Amino acid sequence: METMINYDPTFAEEVFQNVDAGEEIKMCMNCGVCAGSCPLRHEMDYPPRQIFSLIRSGKRDEVLNSKSIMLCTSCYTCVVKCPRSIPVMDVMHGLAHYAIKQGILTRKLTASFGGEFWNQVYRLGRVDEKDLPRRVFFSQGLVEGIKSMLGFMDIGIRLMLHRRMKLLPEKKIKGIESMRKMLDKAEKLGKGGTVA
Amino acid sequence: MDKKTALYICTGCGIGDALDIEQLKEEGTEDFTIAEIKDHPFLCGAEGVELIKKDIEEEGINTIIIAACSQRVNYDVFDFGPDKIVDRANLREHVAWSQPAGEEDTQMLAEDILRLSCSRADNTQLPEPYAPEEEFSKDILVVGGGLTGMTAALETAKAGYQAILVEREAQLGGFLARMKQRVTLPYKELTETGAEALVNEVTEHPKIKVYTSATVEKIEGGPGVYSVDIKSNGDAVSERVGAVVQATGWVPYDANKLGHLGYGQLKDVVTNVELEEMAAAGKITRPSDGSEVKNALFIQCAGSRDPEHLPYCSSVCCLVSMKQATYLKEQNPEGASYILYKDVRTVGQSEDFYRKAQEDGNIFIRGEAVNVGEEGGKLFVEADDELLGEKVKVEELDLVVLAVGMVPASKPVTTPRIKAPADTEGADEQGMIEVLPDSGFFANSALNLAYRQGPELPTLKYGFPDSHFICFPYETRRTGVYSAGCVKRPMETAKVIDDAAGAAMKAIQCTELTSEGKAVHPRAGDTSFPEFNMQRCTQCKRCTEECPFGAINEDEKANPLPNPTRCRRCGVCMGACPERIISFKNYSVRMIGQMVKAVHVPEEDEEKPRVICLICENDAYPALDMAGIKRMKWSPYVRFIPLRCLGSMNLVWIADALSRGIDGILLLGCRHGDDYQCHFVKGSELAETRLGKVSETLDRLALESERVKFEEVGITDYERIPKIIDKFMEKLEEVGPNPYKGW
Amino acid sequence: MKYFLYWGCSLEGTGANFLVSLKPVSEALGMEFEEIEDWNCCGASVSYAGANDLAIKVLNARNLAVAEAEAGYDIVAPCSSCYVQMIKVNREIQEDPDLLKDVNSCLAEGGLKYNGSINVRHIQDVLYNDVGVDKIKQAVVKPLSGLKVAGYVGCQSVRPYGEYDSVNKPKVQDRLLEALGAEAVPFPSKIKCCGSGIFLPEMNYCMELVKNILEDATKHGGQLISTVCPMCAMNLEMYQERINKAYGTDFDVPIVYLTQLMAVAFGMDMKKDAALNYNIIPPEGVLKAAIG
Repeated sequence: METMINYDPTFAEEVFQNVDAGEEIKMCMNCGVCAGSCPLRHEMDYPPRQIFSLIRSGKRDEVLNSKSIMLCTSCYTCVVKCPRSIPVMDVMHGLAHYAIKQGILTRKLTASFGGEFWNQVYRLGRVDEKDLPRRVFFSQGLVEGIKSMLGFMDIGIRLMLHRRMKLLPEKKIKGIESMRKMLDKAEKLGKGGTVA
Repeated sequence: MDKKTALYICTGCGIGDALDIEQLKEEGTEDFTIAEIKDHPFLCGAEGVELIKKDIEEEGINTIIIAACSQRVNYDVFDFGPDKIVDRANLREHVAWSQPAGEEDTQMLAEDILRLSCSRADNTQLPEPYAPEEEFSKDILVVGGGLTGMTAALETAKAGYQAILVEREAQLGGFLARMKQRVTLPYKELTETGAEALVNEVTEHPKIKVYTSATVEKIEGGPGVYSVDIKSNGDAVSERVGAVVQATGWVPYDANKLGHLGYGQLKDVVTNVELEEMAAAGKITRPSDGSEVKNALFIQCAGSRDPEHLPYCSSVCCLVSMKQATYLKEQNPEGASYILYKDVRTVGQSEDFYRKAQEDGNIFIRGEAVNVGEEGGKLFVEADDELLGEKVKVEELDLVVLAVGMVPASKPVTTPRIKAPADTEGADEQGMIEVLPDSGFFANSALNLAYRQGPELPTLKYGFPDSHFICFPYETRRTGVYSAGCVKRPMETAKVIDDAAGAAMKAIQCTELTSEGKAVHPRAGDTSFPEFNMQRCTQCKRCTEECPFGAINEDEKANPLPNPTRCRRCGVCMGACPERIISFKNYSVRMIGQMVKAVHVPEEDEEKPRVICLICENDAYPALDMAGIKRMKWSPYVRFIPLRCLGSMNLVWIADALSRGIDGILLLGCRHGDDYQCHFVKGSELAETRLGKVSETLDRLALESERVKFEEVGITDYERIPKIIDKFMEKLEEVGPNPYKGW
Repeated sequence: MKYFLYWGCSLEGTGANFLVSLKPVSEALGMEFEEIEDWNCCGASVSYAGANDLAIKVLNARNLAVAEAEAGYDIVAPCSSCYVQMIKVNREIQEDPDLLKDVNSCLAEGGLKYNGSINVRHIQDVLYNDVGVDKIKQAVVKPLSGLKVAGYVGCQSVRPYGEYDSVNKPKVQDRLLEALGAEAVPFPSKIKCCGSGIFLPEMNYCMELVKNILEDATKHGGQLISTVCPMCAMNLEMYQERINKAYGTDFDVPIVYLTQLMAVAFGMDMKKDAALNYNIIPPEGVLKAAIG
């Protein structure tokens, strides 16, 4: 028997309430310009406009497990091109954040790269460019981590030789404590943090 | 009038460089009597014009031939008043700019062009404007008292003219009065309908006479001289008017034909019109049990854009559903409205209301409904979701709304049948036959015109009045009758208001021009009209049948009864008449015939073929001018004769030309068919039909059929024209010279 | 011409040649820079994986608030990622009073407040509109005559707002290159994305993007590619060897910062000022040929 999707607006409501920029998808008219303008459209399982359609129809799993929401290069092309002025990029970021918060890691490396990036910001106030890849690589496990690190040795060494790696470890900014307080408050006050 | 003719040749714009002017003066005019022949290097300049004016004053010149640029430019400069005949010979676009300078063929072409002009001037008389015995009326009859009709009446009255408004119902207001609210400029929020205020304004206006519970029983006469029989509340009244606005509106598509969407089977499936009336009455509830409506689904294009039902888009239903979803949102903010659409078509600025509907959280699903059913007291809709590429089901619905489209009120429910003339193919046992959509018999009763070609406006295939939505959006095929609002085309209220004002202005313009004996669009201002030499009429009915505007009635003996104020001056009747008894003072079968004869045909051994091109002066001629302006080249052997409309083409010209040794005849007319561009609707089509009979002429003369060719040309086709000519010349070369040369 | 220079995390590391060359060049053009006291990272484009939108906004607002309290100069961000993060947050705060309120309630946790008075500028904007092409031309002593440069604008230095240049057909970088005497070759991929922040974790997908950009630049005669973004520079320069291996190509295109070219054209030291020795694919050859 043919499968039939039951339209269910509860997921759309969940997105409007909990996902950063989620309510913006109401304005989508499905023209597909976002898909046409995206540099990684060929790698996506659903183009952005279809993600929005899936949200409307209530297909929660398909949306949160979609790799599309994790493939944004933040190039802003869709934002510039959308005839309905939807900040498509922000919506994708919001969805990615929301999915990761639910423990869904469709693109593990990207998720841990972004996650580690933020951890460093939170820890130091700045980002340590040599420490970041290491942490990302080892987030895949010890063996994978060593393999990936070795794979990037050449690049690391060259950067170092050409004085493009800060040799000293990054220190915490002076106001780190007060910065964290601000961020903690923002995390509570903002959308997109809570698990539905 | 005794003609005293002068010829002025302009040598500017390259004409003087291309031609031997002295030789031209001599050769081009030797067959005619010309009092003065002069040339000037800048004829359209002040000095040039002064030269002509001086001759008019001092020499008594009253017929002026300007051999210079195209007739389509500088016509204002060379206007010397209504009592002068002015003719234009196009030596610029058609010679200097499109032919090589200094060549023999170029010179011969210019000479022939002068001969054509001289001949035309010879055969032109000053027209005298038509003035009937009775007084012209400038009052406007408006049929239909909805938003369109009321607006048209009000605009008429505000412009200082008397309006007579006839409404079938007991109250004015039409569908507007049955609506709860409307969406209009700037399309941000719902607004009140304003029906009550509008009805009051119309009713109280001193320059509007309102007849309610009234029908138009009969309209007789023509623009400026219509007499109208109205039956109002059982009383018969009569009015005299100058022009008519038909604003009879629309009816919803019959939802009984939409059983596949649940209509008639499920009580909670309603049409958008039923929902609107429910909303206007107070509250939207479920018809089945009167309970609250929480969730609703609108099926867009219910029967629309569907070859089985209404093949067209009504352009308003999307906006209407969004409006009604807004009603539901106001009634129950917790409810969900789904809009199942093929394409959202919120035209122009009304896109803003689409945005509002999206912001309100209405759920738009792109796809088509495949099933509407009931489960546990609630409705469900199954659909093919085009964007997900899957079947979807929307459940827990309290109401399903079918967004049905607009059908013109003029369209009869069944195709009417009329008594067929004897021996007509397709007639039934009773001798009845279905009428064609473009006949005036097809439309539903509204005007009851006492016209030979039927009582109503001829319609296009979907029942909308035949008109041209770009070139003449208000004109119909009945001069002086202007259609407006949804009877003409589905439209929303903002457009209706504009449209009604436009039609009212057109109607006023018509009465004003008619009162001066002038034609309306597209020959606005023309004071000529067809004259019938009745002694020679054979009652063949061709003129009464072919006039695209139904201008000619018939008496019992089938004699034509012309109505000059209905005439658009296209000359189709003149082309139709086999006895050639119809002519205008300044345009006649004889005139063109004489022009054809004025062309010099070289002997066969000179190897200079001659082609006559009869060219529509509305589109093809300007396109040819444009080709000249772009300095494109074409054969120097073609002689162009502009016609008012190719429909005025009389076959005798072709016979005359061929028997004089002209090698070929090319006819350039407008595109016809469903997307016609003919300024006179049917002219170019009639010309081509008539040409079907030219084979008899060719057979009689034992000539090849390739010698006569018809081509459709649009105003933007300037690049094609030289190619058409070249191809035709090649064909003629294959066929060889006309054997009648020198006879 | 006094500004806050917000150079961000990369310009002390992978983008060091940008910062090294920017300093002498801006000095020569009469620009004065101050550092924002105890600035923090902008969060770049990938922080959304770990933080919600408001946290990222607050992170940036902290820098804006400090700058506002200190002196209120325009902030110049040479790194495109920093630029776009800051201008986006700044704009959204300025346009939405409710957001400003939320942000300030977070900033208050650290005793800060932002009023929305700061302007965020890109380095190209400042060079083009404040310094001007004429002044740059005057500073040129060794014009880069005959040097064909593919000016790569990337994404985040003009999108999404187009504050100082067209988002679809940016011109500013080409005009600046021409002021140096170089020829800006036509380069349709000028604003195509290089993969930006997710190049590293999504290398299999993003290598093709970079390959296309390199191909387009060389096809149109570019001898080198200029850029104003450390992320672009990194992605375009560092992975050429891998791309060559993966696609059988032979790219060896130097990637230089606009400011490095300026230093060379201003006749400054190739190493100390232009920091050409920081480049992994050496640009000295083509540059020396150009300045003779």
